[in-house]
Amino acid sequence: MTEVTEEPQGTVRASGPPADGAPEPAPEPAPSAAPAPGAAQLRPPAGESGTAAGELPSRVRPPGLAEAADALATAAHERRTVLFEGAGTALEWGAPVAETGLVLETSGLDRMISHAPEDWTVGVEAGMPLTRLQEVLAPAGQWLPVEPPTGGDGATLGGLLACGDAGPCRLKYGSLGDLVIGATLVLADGTVARTGGDVIKNVAGYDLVKLMAGSLGAFGLAVRLNLRVHPLPEATATLALPVDDAEGALTAARAVMRSPLEPVAVEWDGQRLLIRFQGTAESVAERGRLAPDVPGLAAARVLGEDAARAAWQRLSRLVRGEDGETVLRAGTHPARLPALLRRLNELTTGGAVEAELVSGVAQGLHTVVLRGGDAAEHAACLTAWRESVYGAGGSVTLRRRREGVDALAAAWGPAPPAVAVLRSLKRQFDPDDLCAPGRFAPWF
Amino acid sequence: MIDTVLRREFEAALGTESVLSDPLQLRTYECDGLTGFREVPALVVLPRSTEEVAAAVSLCAKAGLPFVARGAGTGLSGGAVPVAQGVVISLARMRQVLDFDPEDRRMVLQPGVTNAEISRIAAPHGLYYAPDPSSQVVCTIGGNVAENSGGAHCVKYGFTVHHVTALRVVLPDGSVTELGADAPESPGPDLRGLFIGSEGTLGIATEITVRLLRTPESVRTLVADFPTVEAAGEAVSGIMASGIVPAAVEMLDSLAIEACEAAVHAGYSLDATAALVVELDGMEHECDEQFEKVVALCHEKGTTNVRIATTSDERALIWKGRKAAFAAVGRISPDYFVQDGVVPRTRLSEALSRIAAMSGAEGLRVANVFHAGDGNLHPLVLFDEGAGESERAERLAAEIAEMCVELGGSLSGEHGIGLDKACSMPEMFGETDLAVMRQLRAAFDPDGLANPGKVLPTPRLCGEASGRYRPHPLEEAGVIERL
Repeated sequence: MTEVTEEPQGTVRASGPPADGAPEPAPEPAPSAAPAPGAAQLRPPAGESGTAAGELPSRVRPPGLAEAADALATAAHERRTVLFEGAGTALEWGAPVAETGLVLETSGLDRMISHAPEDWTVGVEAGMPLTRLQEVLAPAGQWLPVEPPTGGDGATLGGLLACGDAGPCRLKYGSLGDLVIGATLVLADGTVARTGGDVIKNVAGYDLVKLMAGSLGAFGLAVRLNLRVHPLPEATATLALPVDDAEGALTAARAVMRSPLEPVAVEWDGQRLLIRFQGTAESVAERGRLAPDVPGLAAARVLGEDAARAAWQRLSRLVRGEDGETVLRAGTHPARLPALLRRLNELTTGGAVEAELVSGVAQGLHTVVLRGGDAAEHAACLTAWRESVYGAGGSVTLRRRREGVDALAAAWGPAPPAVAVLRSLKRQFDPDDLCAPGRFAPWF
Repeated sequence: MIDTVLRREFEAALGTESVLSDPLQLRTYECDGLTGFREVPALVVLPRSTEEVAAAVSLCAKAGLPFVARGAGTGLSGGAVPVAQGVVISLARMRQVLDFDPEDRRMVLQPGVTNAEISRIAAPHGLYYAPDPSSQVVCTIGGNVAENSGGAHCVKYGFTVHHVTALRVVLPDGSVTELGADAPESPGPDLRGLFIGSEGTLGIATEITVRLLRTPESVRTLVADFPTVEAAGEAVSGIMASGIVPAAVEMLDSLAIEACEAAVHAGYSLDATAALVVELDGMEHECDEQFEKVVALCHEKGTTNVRIATTSDERALIWKGRKAAFAAVGRISPDYFVQDGVVPRTRLSEALSRIAAMSGAEGLRVANVFHAGDGNLHPLVLFDEGAGESERAERLAAEIAEMCVELGGSLSGEHGIGLDKACSMPEMFGETDLAVMRQLRAAFDPDGLANPGKVLPTPRLCGEASGRYRPHPLEEAGVIERL
């Protein structure tokens, strides 16, 4: 069974100002080495990369679009492989990059380009941290409704587009890819191309942003992003329902989705279902009053502001994971949760590995954290559970692994049905396999 | 060329009753909702399954024949216009609902199911499908996927791309693949999102999984009259700045009001210079609370009259008037072009003033009906072909679209680029941008067989004149409306 430490639940009271569930500031630095402030664009070679970097820098920090395009054009000319690095919070996602001839840091690309509050649009460079954008938007009564677990680690907008991470309120708002209305991209050969536009409704031409969404840096770099923002909700409240079995969690989540309450997030941590509402102060209070009438939600209680914040932060920390843990993210039909959790428990019962599962139960997005035990046990659990997920029609992304797991388990499961299209796109846009080579190996 | 041998191959694969080659029958497929563009195809096939679509596409690929997928043919950008000597693959017989899972709020459909049918089936379970293009009674989900269709409620609910979660697709080489997944995250780039809105140029969707939303507990709708377009525009700004996300905000100018009233008698005030239709939906308590705020804002910005729908019939009448606007223009003008440009919402007044000035300069009337909440204009350029006005009208329509781009907007908010606006793409995108789009297309369709000539400009196409709007037969019959 999953292990969860129960958080103290707050007293029942109406919600206050928005507790947006953003993770607390990072207690430790991001896994990758942060650049020195104002660091020179050129750095000495990293040395251990094992590539023929020669006398050229192994790390650049372009200050603008033109320099980013130049860096990629030069790298392509020299057949240097390239790794894009924002805050470095998702560099471990997927398969390890085979070689890195050049690291392109986006921290110098962190400007706000435009903000048209009345049009609900904002233009930013890819290296801008999400939290900084939220600080700029808040005084205008707006926010970008994305709350990844790495927000507190300085996760950047470009990085969040590339990894497709969104957080619990994806249920209502989608992921960053759904909120990008236009972009300027730099492709592997340094080509600069625009896609979309600056307006919130637009169907002109192909939406190349989607090629970057989830690409893990393997198809180029979105240097500038135009985003649709939303009004900051007046109030937020979180309801907690004690429920320790997956069937119960699924039933309750379905009930609240069928209710008129319109939740923005529904997450289950093995012990309780957290349901978040947003809206006007009065309507949020009203939702709290009405929720216990929803079938199966009689035992639900509104959390106090501090308890709610703590509960969401705790989920965020769990999903992000810690050093030494292996973190998997699975997407399945929501109804598969109970069977997949049973399977996970079978795999970990009696062993040294302890598994914890957090599920966006209304969407079928499950994060599994493996801790304890050794790399072999992590690898065995990863491989076996992943097989079950694929058997149930789902997919798995490896987000973090205990050291040594890579030698014992494949990073990816079976190739997706559209792998031929992915290979064809890769041939078109990065024929020399320079961008994050190996990230999707062995698929392409 | 399609010779008898090749035709028989299609017939062997799909059955003789699913292959049309009679010239009279072929003519039925010569155009879509933008009737100014016409081309008779060499062959029309009517597959019933993914396998049959794949068989037809494979034969096209083998013979190097261009093919065009077609749903209900209600598109307004010429996206389903056949290619000379090519094949039309009509999805009209693929109308099955393959799966409905009310518990987890999703449905799997064949592409020929109509948009309205989805919500009709979902309704008994308190669910609905959000995108609502005006042609929803006849337009198909397959066509919606191709165009990334919107409707009146985009500002709150987004477009087709936000509601279609997975696709089974026949690629231009005849192979079948899956894009998207059961959950909103799956490894790798978002191929599902790339495909949606690709206007039939990357393949044919044969199974479409949509997500369904719970029917809002409450819907509140009003019409507010304003003495000037600017005042109505300010009211829109006020609403959008108030923290409210309206379900819909539509605007009609006096000419559009006149046309609507002549056609539908929806109760719009003939003496208003501009009318706003504002709709809120959601939880009853919140809806009521915010609706009061919207009414107050309208008064603050100088409305001369607010009419609030008190019954669902009244609400339906307001929408009937709004949605009939395009066809209704036929009552006050023999011919018209419709545009679909977008401007940043804050530049609506400026765009409307410039349209008025351009309209004056050309000596042609322009009626304006549009989605004010997201800046998606639908200017209707009125003209009389019999009086030799079509050339000026064409020029004015193109100038309006290009002005939208100049103001920081887009050529199209929801109708698509198709054949109609392909030649205007260089107004919005640079040569490199377009070259990269061609690369994307080549990754899916290296031989360029899927709906060639659409979306991206070609020298051959852009040397030719664009066609003008003629009412679709279904529109004339009052079955569909335009938005």
